[in-house]
Amino acid sequence: MLSLFGYDAKGDYERVVNEMPGRRVNVAVPEQSLLLLKSVGAVPHTGGKIIKRDSEHYQSLLRWIEAGAPDDIGDVAATVAVELSNERLLFEQPKDGAALKVIAKASDGSMRDVTKLSRFFSNNDSVAKIDSDGKVTATGAGDTHVFARFSRFTVGAEVIVLPPAAGFEWPNPKSVNFIDELVFDRLQKLRIAPSELCDDETFLRRITLDLAARPPTIAEYRAFLADERSNKRSLKIDELLADDAFADYWTALWAEQLRIIGGNYAPVATDVKAADAFYQWIRKQMRTSRPLNEFIAEMVDASGSNLTNGPVNLYTMLVHKPQFEPKVFAADFSQVFLGVQIQCAECHNHPFDRWTQDDYYGFVSFFTGMKRKPGVEPRERRIYCDTSAPPARHVVDGRPMPAKVLGGIDPVASGGDPRTSLAQWLTSPENELFSRNLTNRIWAQLLGRGIIEPVDDVRASNPPVNGPLLDALSKRLVAAKFDLRSLVRDICNSRVYQLSAQPNASNRRDTRQFSHAHLRRLRADVLLDSVVTVTGVTRRFGGFPEGTRAIDYYPRSAGSTEGPEFGDPFFATFGRSSRGTVCACETKKEPTLSQTLHMAVGDTVRDRLGASGEVKRMLEKGTSPEVMIEELFVRTLSRRPTQDEKTAMRELIGDAVKDQATYEDIFWSLLNSTEFAFNH
Amino acid sequence: MRFVPLVLVALSLVMPDIFAEDAKPITYDDHIAPILKRHCWQCHGETKQESGLNLANYAAAVKGSSGGAVVVSGRSSTSRLFKAITAEDPAERMPPENDPLPKEQLALIKAWIDTGLRQNAGSAATPARTLSFKPSSLKNDGPAPMPEKLPTIERSKTTRPFPILAMAASPRAPLVAVAAYERVDFINPESRDVIGSVAFPEGEPQVLRFSRSGAVLLAAGGRPAQNGAAVLFDVKTGKRLAELGNETDTVIAADLSPDERQVAIGGSGRVVKIFSTVDGALNHTLVKHTDWITAIAFSPDGKLLASADRVGNIHLWDAISGGVVLPLSEHKAAVRSLAWRSDSQVLASCSEDGQIVWWEVSKGWPSISKADAHPPQRPAGIYGKIPNGVLDANFGPNGELISCGRDRTVRLWSHDGSALKSFTIDADSKSNSTPTAIRVLPLRSVVTFDGLRILAGDSAGRVHSWPADGTAK
Repeated sequence: MLSLFGYDAKGDYERVVNEMPGRRVNVAVPEQSLLLLKSVGAVPHTGGKIIKRDSEHYQSLLRWIEAGAPDDIGDVAATVAVELSNERLLFEQPKDGAALKVIAKASDGSMRDVTKLSRFFSNNDSVAKIDSDGKVTATGAGDTHVFARFSRFTVGAEVIVLPPAAGFEWPNPKSVNFIDELVFDRLQKLRIAPSELCDDETFLRRITLDLAARPPTIAEYRAFLADERSNKRSLKIDELLADDAFADYWTALWAEQLRIIGGNYAPVATDVKAADAFYQWIRKQMRTSRPLNEFIAEMVDASGSNLTNGPVNLYTMLVHKPQFEPKVFAADFSQVFLGVQIQCAECHNHPFDRWTQDDYYGFVSFFTGMKRKPGVEPRERRIYCDTSAPPARHVVDGRPMPAKVLGGIDPVASGGDPRTSLAQWLTSPENELFSRNLTNRIWAQLLGRGIIEPVDDVRASNPPVNGPLLDALSKRLVAAKFDLRSLVRDICNSRVYQLSAQPNASNRRDTRQFSHAHLRRLRADVLLDSVVTVTGVTRRFGGFPEGTRAIDYYPRSAGSTEGPEFGDPFFATFGRSSRGTVCACETKKEPTLSQTLHMAVGDTVRDRLGASGEVKRMLEKGTSPEVMIEELFVRTLSRRPTQDEKTAMRELIGDAVKDQATYEDIFWSLLNSTEFAFNH
Repeated sequence: MRFVPLVLVALSLVMPDIFAEDAKPITYDDHIAPILKRHCWQCHGETKQESGLNLANYAAAVKGSSGGAVVVSGRSSTSRLFKAITAEDPAERMPPENDPLPKEQLALIKAWIDTGLRQNAGSAATPARTLSFKPSSLKNDGPAPMPEKLPTIERSKTTRPFPILAMAASPRAPLVAVAAYERVDFINPESRDVIGSVAFPEGEPQVLRFSRSGAVLLAAGGRPAQNGAAVLFDVKTGKRLAELGNETDTVIAADLSPDERQVAIGGSGRVVKIFSTVDGALNHTLVKHTDWITAIAFSPDGKLLASADRVGNIHLWDAISGGVVLPLSEHKAAVRSLAWRSDSQVLASCSEDGQIVWWEVSKGWPSISKADAHPPQRPAGIYGKIPNGVLDANFGPNGELISCGRDRTVRLWSHDGSALKSFTIDADSKSNSTPTAIRVLPLRSVVTFDGLRILAGDSAGRVHSWPADGTAK
C-alpha cells in the first residue's frame, strides 16, 4: 500500500490514514493499527517482519498514531543534503570495524542525525559489510564503497581493506604521464604492485588492434621491431592515430551506440539512405577530428530531412519507432550521452542516485515537441520540433514540467526549440557528467574496463574505482577541446596502457585497478577483419561493395528496423551489438562454444586458409620449414614462435616439408588459438 | 461449516494441562484450528491454498498438500507441517519472513500430532449442525421492536472514540444502530441518546443491518488481518442469536436475506460466502471478484444478491442458487456501498471514483449516474489527484437516497437523482476536539424509518443528526 521508495508521501498518508479509517491506522486503539501489527509481524504480512516492537521506529509510529495521526501542517522543511561522517575508511585487516553516522541537512538550515532512519548497503560484501545501524566491518582485502540512503539521497564512503604489509614491496615504477601517477598512487595505497611493461611484440599487436581494428601486417611487424628509436612506441601511436582506420573504427563504435540500422519501411524513417547519410556524416566528423562536443551538439540540435541531413537521424535511429517517443528517447539519450539511467525516475525518485521525478519529466520535455512529417519522396521524413507542443506531465500530480536540464533548478528559457539550450548545456566544458561519460567510454574502449563500470550506469551508488583518475582524464579531454585523438594519445602513451598481461603475486586478484593488462576478446567485427588481414582473403557483406571491412558494415533490414538486427550471421555468433537497445551490454565479450565451433569448422577460417595462395607461393619460392613456421606465427599472432613451439611444429612437418596442407593445418591451429581471438 | 464457538480463549491454554493424565485431549477444533488460523490460513486456507494445502478444515489438513500428507499421526518428527514450523533456517521456516510460532503453540501442535490427530473432544460422530436461530415470519405487524432493558456491558477503553464504520436505521422504529469499538449502540435518532448496547468482542463491526421486521440486527466485522465473523442479535433483548463465519480477516461486507434464512459475507478473501442461518452450513461460495469484497446487499424481494469489490466491479447473483446473473460495470475504483430501493427495481452503488449510480436492475444499465457526487475542492496551486469519493449511500423509505463522501458533506438525493439538500459535518462538530491536521470524514449516513431525520457517523466517532427537511435541529 505504501509507494515504492516513498515517492508519493502525500498519497501514502491518504492510503494509510484516510482510505480505510480505523484499519491501517486506528487512532482509537493505536496498538491495534495494522501499520504496527504488520510491521512487527504480529499478523501475516507479505513484506515480512520489518521492525521490532521495542524499537525506536515502533515507538515513533505509535506516538504519531496516539496523537491522532496528524498530517503535516504548513511547510515542512525538506531534506536538501545528506552527509556521511566519513568519506573514507581504511582497515588494516579483516574484522576491523567503524561506525558511520548519517547527517541530514534540512531546507531551514537545521542538521539532524538520521543514522537510525537510514538504509545501508555495501557494493561488495566480500570486502566490507555494513549493518542496519551503519556499522562497517572489513571482511577481506580490496576496495569498495558502502552507502547510506535517506530521503531521496544516497551517499557513499570508500572502504579500503589492506592486504598484509608483510612481503609487499612497492616496485616504484617510472611514470610516463599523469595517468601513471594517479593509477600508481592508487595501487600503492592498496598494496598492489603493477605488472611489468609489455614487450614490443605485444605492444604492437595491442595498439594496432586498438587503434586500427586489425592486427599488424608482417611488414609493420618487421619495421617496428627493427626500429631502434627510443620513442618508437609513441611514434607508432601517432602514426596509427593519423590513419583513416582510426576514424573509421570510431565511426563504427558511434554507429553501433547510436543504433544505426538501415531499413526499407518508410514509416519508421530509417531507410537505408537515411542510415547511409548518418553514417557518412559521422565518418566525416571522425576523419576531420571534429571536437566531440561539437559533433554531439550538432546531432542534438538537428532538424530537417533524414535523407540529406545525416545528424538529424539521431531522432530516427536512437529509438526505432514509427512514432517519436519522448520518454524512451530521453532515457536512451541520457544513457548514451551522460551514462546516466534516468528511467527509474519515471515512477519514483531514483533510489540509488540523485535524480528526482522532477528531473526526469523536465528532461523528457526537451523532446515532447519532436515530430516527423512526410517529405518529398516516400523514404523521406522531415524531423522538426513543434514548439507549441505541451511539456510532459508529472506522473504523481499531473503538473506540467517545462524543459529543464538534469540537476537544474529552473526550466530553460521558454519559446523556441528547447533543444538548443539542451545542446549548449550538454556539451559545455562545465558539464562534467558529459565530459566524464565520454572520457570513461574512451578509457573503457582502450583498457577493456571503465573507471566506472558498466560505462552506461553512472550513479551515486556506482562510483569510479579511481575518482582522481577520471577527474584528471576528463579535465584533459576538456582542455584538449574535446579532441578524441589527444586523449587516446595520452592513454596509449601511459605505462598503465602498456603494462603486461602477466600478473604478479600482489595483483593477480585485481580486476579493477588497472594493475595489469586484461585479456580482451576481440570484438566481432575486429575479429573478422583480423581473419581477413591475416589470411589476405576479403569477406563479402550483403549490400556492401567487395572489400568492405567488417567495421564499416552496419546492419540493413528488409523491412522495419524496430527489432534487433545483426545483419551478417557472423556478428550474431560473435556478439556484435544487435542494436536492439542502447545498452553497452549489447556488445558481448564472452567467448561461447558456438564461436569456437565456428572458428574450427565454419567457412570463415576454413575457406581462407589457402585461398590467398600465400602458403603456396612461399613454398614455391623454396622457403624452409623453419621460416615458414615463423612467417605463420608472425602473420597470425604478431610474434615469433618460442623454441618449444618451433620444435613441436618442425616435428609435425617431419618429411612433408613441401606439403601445403600441413602448413595450412598449422595456420588453422594458430587462427583457432585463444591467443588469436584475444587482445593481450 | 460448523457453528463456531469463540475460539480466542484457546490461545491462553496452560502448558502442564497438555500432559496431565486426565487432561482433555488436544483436538483440531479446540486447540489447533485457532493457531493455524492465526498463522497459516492466510495462505493455506479456504480462499488460497499455496502448494495445494488447506489447513482451514480438519479433513483437508489431514489430507495434506499437493505433495502428500503434512501430518503423520503419532509422529511429529516426520510430519512436514511440524518440520516447516520448527525449521532452524528462517528461509525454510513457516510462516515465511516472520518469527517462529510461540513455544506453547509449537508444543500444542506437536502434542496434537503425537496423540493421534484428534478432530474434537467427543466421539467420532460430528455434532449435529444446528443454530438456535429461527427465521421470523415476514409479517411486519405488531409493535415495532425496540431494545428493552438490555444488560449493561463493559465498554472497552479507547484512546479516543473509534470511527463510526457502520450504522443502520431500523425500518420500523425510531431506532438507529451505531458501531463502536467492540460493541454496537442503539440510539434515539433525535436525541442521539444511547438506549442500550450489545457487546461485539470479535472486534470492530464494519457492517450493521436490520432485518425487515426490525427485530434482528446483523453485525459483521472483526479485527483486521486477524479474525472476522457475522453475528445476529435480538434487538429487543440484546441476545446473540447466531454467529457465522470464522474468517482470517475482518468481514467488510455482509447482509441478511429478507427471509432471514441466509447471511452473506465478504472481505479481503475475494469470495462471497453465503451461510444458512438455520444450520450454519456454507450454502454457496461465490467466486468472481478479483479484489476485496467491499459491499453486499440482498434485494428486498429476496431474489438477487449484489456484491461489489475494491476495483469497482459489481456482480448480481441469484440469491437462492448462487448462480451468476449479471455484471454491472461502471465504477473505476472501490465500491463503498450497495443499497436496494424497497421495490427491488433499483440498486444504488457508490464508489471512491466519486460516482453514485442508480442501476435499473432488470436491464443491467445505469438509469442515473452522478459523477462527482461529492466533489472535493481543489486548493489553489495544487495539482494532481485530490482525495475524492463517495463513502456511503442508503435509501430512505420514499426512494430518496442519502450519501456522504470525502468532501465532508452529507447529501440527500431525490428519487430521480436530483440533489435536494446537503449537510456538512463541520457545522455540527464540537470545536477543537481534534487537531486541524486530522481530516474528519463522514463515513456512514442513513435516513430514519419515517424519512424525517438524517443521521451521519464520522471518523472521529461522532453521530450527527439533522431534520430531513433542512430546518434547524
